[in-house]
Amino acid sequence: MGRTRKGWRRVINGVNISAFFVTLFIALPLYWLIISSFKTPVAMGDSPPQYWPSPFSGANYSQAFVQYDFGIYFRNSLIVTLCATALVLVFGTVAGYALGRLPMRGKFTLMVTLLIISVFPEIALIAPLYLLERNFGILNSYEALIIPYTAFNLPFAIWILRNYMLGIPKEMEETGRIDGAGPLRTVWSIILPMALPGLFTAGIFCFTACWTEFLMALTFESVNNWRTIPVGIAEFGTPLEVPYGTIFAASVVAVVPIGILVFIFRKFVISGLTSGAVKG
Amino acid sequence: MTSVSSAAEPAPASAPLVGRHDVNRKRMARLGWVFSAPALIFVAAVTIFPIVYSVVMSLSNVTVTGNGFKLSGVTGSNYTLVLKNSTWHYALGFTIVYTLITVAVELVIGTLIALVLQRLTAGRGWMMALLLIPWSMITVINAELWLYVFNGIYGVMDAIFNAVGLGHPNFLGTNDPAIISLMIADIWKTTPFVAIIVLAGLVMLPGDIFEAAEVDGSSGWSTFWRITVPLLRPTLALAVMFRVLQAFGLFDLPYVMTGGGPGTATTSLAILGYDAMFKNLSFGPGAAVATTTALLVLLGCLISLRTFRVQVGKEDM
Repeated sequence: MGRTRKGWRRVINGVNISAFFVTLFIALPLYWLIISSFKTPVAMGDSPPQYWPSPFSGANYSQAFVQYDFGIYFRNSLIVTLCATALVLVFGTVAGYALGRLPMRGKFTLMVTLLIISVFPEIALIAPLYLLERNFGILNSYEALIIPYTAFNLPFAIWILRNYMLGIPKEMEETGRIDGAGPLRTVWSIILPMALPGLFTAGIFCFTACWTEFLMALTFESVNNWRTIPVGIAEFGTPLEVPYGTIFAASVVAVVPIGILVFIFRKFVISGLTSGAVKG
Repeated sequence: MTSVSSAAEPAPASAPLVGRHDVNRKRMARLGWVFSAPALIFVAAVTIFPIVYSVVMSLSNVTVTGNGFKLSGVTGSNYTLVLKNSTWHYALGFTIVYTLITVAVELVIGTLIALVLQRLTAGRGWMMALLLIPWSMITVINAELWLYVFNGIYGVMDAIFNAVGLGHPNFLGTNDPAIISLMIADIWKTTPFVAIIVLAGLVMLPGDIFEAAEVDGSSGWSTFWRITVPLLRPTLALAVMFRVLQAFGLFDLPYVMTGGGPGTATTSLAILGYDAMFKNLSFGPGAAVATTTALLVLLGCLISLRTFRVQVGKEDM
């Protein structure tokens, strides 16, 4: 008797019960998003709502791609996000190496300036950027987003990468120098492999930021063909009728790739969140 | 690529090291600038110009022409206009109150979640993965989800309120409920972010202090306030600072969920600035709103850092 109670106690205790409620708090809205995407368009308007879709319907998914141009938005988001992330990683690695390991003067000022730039609210820069892009004729193009996304994500990436570069032992570089490798080669074949966790961290943060960005995407891409997922989803439907089922179907498709990425790289996300140079 | 590496080719390793050091150092510093120049020029070109231009714009008479803006004269009229505007007063108050409440709630719930996860013996990895989903979610999707939840006719919240006998409140159509609905959507999405940071801070705390406290007979509550919280201060400061920055720029949620309404109930500073510039084409006043917001953000940053008495980035430089 006493034994069983003890066994019970081990499972039902304050910590586990609290953890259960935490899980509910986070999972319930996600559950609602996913099951609602499988309701039929008519069932979306049921009151009280269906707590489990019956019948199960894939209509919202086909509608998102056929009636609304979700395929285009998805492609645009992917292109913009991948290009910006690649550029950030290339520029950021080389700059992070220089700022972390090479004896430059004024490094501290530079790093603080980068930090200040990275906290500047988007709204303060949106109008002049719009004007600039208009003058260069790049509104409604991939560059319209790739360029600002790269610039706004670089400061944080440089911080992360510099921190990783600082941790690499000096002897490693000297090995390269003795072998007669040039500085770019040293970065490529010796530093880069050791800074790989930093690259994952900077990469996943940049990817998430670009994938979710709304204000610039809304302002710089006014033509449907160039819209990214956030703007595309926000413009689904008409002012009179919001097709929630279709929106949620598209949302599930938009959440999945980043969910997988974040799940695979969760170690690096967490180390990025806690590396001292945090960004939400 | 090859030209760079051959130009900076070091002397053979057998060469005498004495006297070469300074030359080498200089060369390395130059290399540092060569390496960081592309990134720095890129960032400067895309951000410094707009920052400066935004300030200039806010101090000029801006007229919208066929191919852009025309700036003329130096004037403070944009700022007087904004500072006297009652919608700006409201938006400023709303943004500040919204920031204070959401960040405070997120900090409390986030810390509680972190404390629970720290004690969790199994499944912590899965919980962390679950926490990362709201963090990585597109805010527009989050907004649409809560819009559906708070819908007055078929929203699940309406069904719940009705089931417990609270009738059918108009969540998004009346001022205070609309504000609270926005806050709930925000808290759901960003509390996990706070929880992860705090948990990482908790894990790094030295365990022997807690053992000593236990030996001294300190209760859980007083241990938490007297030991855990002070030691966690730098972690909490960073979490608060980055949440304050984000909350102060509040745009996506009200843009999708309420359009700033009902009336102007959920008009944040960013919504006001955006509407002024891109809906009413009043770029001068819009720039003044944007610039004051940026200044307030920087001020908020300094205050958070001061409150928690930490310095960022000073170490290891």
